[in-house]
Amino acid sequence: MATTKIKQLNEWNTLHSNGPFPLKILYQTKLEGERVMPSKIERYNDAALEIQRLIKETKHAGEGFRAYGSAWSMNNIASNKDRMHFNGFMNISMPIHANECHQENTYDPTNLFLFECGNTIKEISETLAEHGKSLKTSGASNGQTIAGCVSTGVHGSGIDSGSVQDYVVGLNLIIGPNTEDNIFLEPKSKPVLLDNFVNSLNSRVIRDDDLFHAALVGLGSFGFIHGVVVEAEPVFLLKRYVKKIDKNLAFELANTMDFKNSAFVIPGESNAQGKANRPFHFKIFINQYSDDSDCVVEVMYKKPYQKNYPDPFPVIKESLYRDLIYLFVRLAENCPKSIPWLVKRLGNTILPEEQKETTGMLKEIFWDAPYQGPAFACSFGIHHRNSEKAMNLLSKLTREEGPIPGIFALRFVKGTKATLGFTKFPITCVIEIDGLLWKKTRKIMSLEEYSKRMIAVLKENNIPFTIHWGKNSYWKFPGLVNHMYGGSSDKWVEERKKLLSSEMQDMFTNKFIRIVGLD
Amino acid sequence: MKQIIFTLFVCGLSFLTSCYSVRLRNVNGAPQPDPFSNREDYYRGMAVVEIDTVITINLASKDFTYLIKEQDGCESGKLNIIEYRNTFGGILLSAITFGKKRKVKVKYVCQKL
Repeated sequence: MATTKIKQLNEWNTLHSNGPFPLKILYQTKLEGERVMPSKIERYNDAALEIQRLIKETKHAGEGFRAYGSAWSMNNIASNKDRMHFNGFMNISMPIHANECHQENTYDPTNLFLFECGNTIKEISETLAEHGKSLKTSGASNGQTIAGCVSTGVHGSGIDSGSVQDYVVGLNLIIGPNTEDNIFLEPKSKPVLLDNFVNSLNSRVIRDDDLFHAALVGLGSFGFIHGVVVEAEPVFLLKRYVKKIDKNLAFELANTMDFKNSAFVIPGESNAQGKANRPFHFKIFINQYSDDSDCVVEVMYKKPYQKNYPDPFPVIKESLYRDLIYLFVRLAENCPKSIPWLVKRLGNTILPEEQKETTGMLKEIFWDAPYQGPAFACSFGIHHRNSEKAMNLLSKLTREEGPIPGIFALRFVKGTKATLGFTKFPITCVIEIDGLLWKKTRKIMSLEEYSKRMIAVLKENNIPFTIHWGKNSYWKFPGLVNHMYGGSSDKWVEERKKLLSSEMQDMFTNKFIRIVGLD
Repeated sequence: MKQIIFTLFVCGLSFLTSCYSVRLRNVNGAPQPDPFSNREDYYRGMAVVEIDTVITINLASKDFTYLIKEQDGCESGKLNIIEYRNTFGGILLSAITFGKKRKVKVKYVCQKL
């Protein structure tokens, strides 16, 4: 039997210390050992029963319940004041075989895998590599669990490959304590799994496009995500370049996404006519405190996998003295005028090394990001055509009403089908400022005030936007979700009501969901 | 007097600089998590096993091997990160006992199962 440890607590915090948030009980479920229960399906089903037992227990107590994985979200989206469940030890993975696929399945079965909720991106990538496969994209690092990524819309900078949820083709949700509450949800228009196989997971199939797309970025509120079926692809290499280019050229690319006709051509990355190839990944770093006419860009091109590529890892990775980071934070709080100077000093640590070329698999390029202390990140999604305009506005705000201890970066992601996916534009430009978490003083505004001003500035200038669900923001901003998603937010609420009983809706609703008005 | 101060300064400096840590981390594998831990260092969120002990070995033994076993904090019995700390006191202890006593100050995190 899977076993659960229980700890009574008063509060819980995220990895980057964005809380603390109140909490009564923290659960941690571990799978039955392989020696006792060698069958993966048996262990998977056994874990589902344990989760249902915990849901039943919570239901009897009339309390809330929320699952979380690596606690990487930087707000209270993963928190529940009553009970939380750490699912990091629930990490079974299984390849899907051709005879387990639906008759109308259109995916190559060798690319399909079932991953239990607590698998991290790193674990998944390693499992896939053993099968000669790779994820299509990931975030900038690899520590998030798959359920956490999907629920909040984690993205990289895949111009033509989208976010993590975009390669999820089926969801196994536990929506209550009863047998019929274990469901497998997939789109009706693109069925994946055979009913018999779904039944072997003690689940019943629901095929519904609207429901699937709503549950995809479900914000932890569509029940307990027990597993996801992902579509992988054959393993590939990424060749990464870091260049310093003219800001005007960088923004011309951002605004148009027209790499082919751009003056930005990297030798060896062009076609026979000398036109630039379309990159897999494009990222612009902007130090808003610098008047340098150039900026650093990171560009990656997809290449077929081959053995014997140069080792992408350095032998030594240094990290800053934690005390030095705390000193910078104190300096920023008490003498904000020093921030631009501090950012410049930290330039080599924050920005990638220029002129550097690296080749590696996706899992090697987007590798571990060791914890470096309390941090913040504010991340907006806008149409890529508004990249330059939005960047100028947010830079001006940060300079004139800040300064704030962080720098901006822009990434570009293909639009998502998820109803509340924050990468909702055909190509979403993700403008993010991240840096060290500071406290409000007489001399520097709070993160909340800064976030509120960012929203206000984009609204005043009629730039449609969304906000990354897992990042810092002023989520209380009146009418925020409706402004960002219009009718889609109502649709999301309706679909949720279709799936969950009113009791389960309450159980899987937390403060965050209430604040943004999605309850 | 100046000479004594200078000697003390040099001794103090060498004492401080002789204490340092070395960390080794696997490129592959995820560290075993610990949601109940509230560490705020490099190991935040990880299940860390810390050893701070003195091992006594036979005078005839050249070295020793400390075995990492499957246990609560190390369910896989496989290492993911290991950090050892070199201290002036440890070196001194080994020197004055002719290698019989060895200070072991190690932190490790095992691979997630």
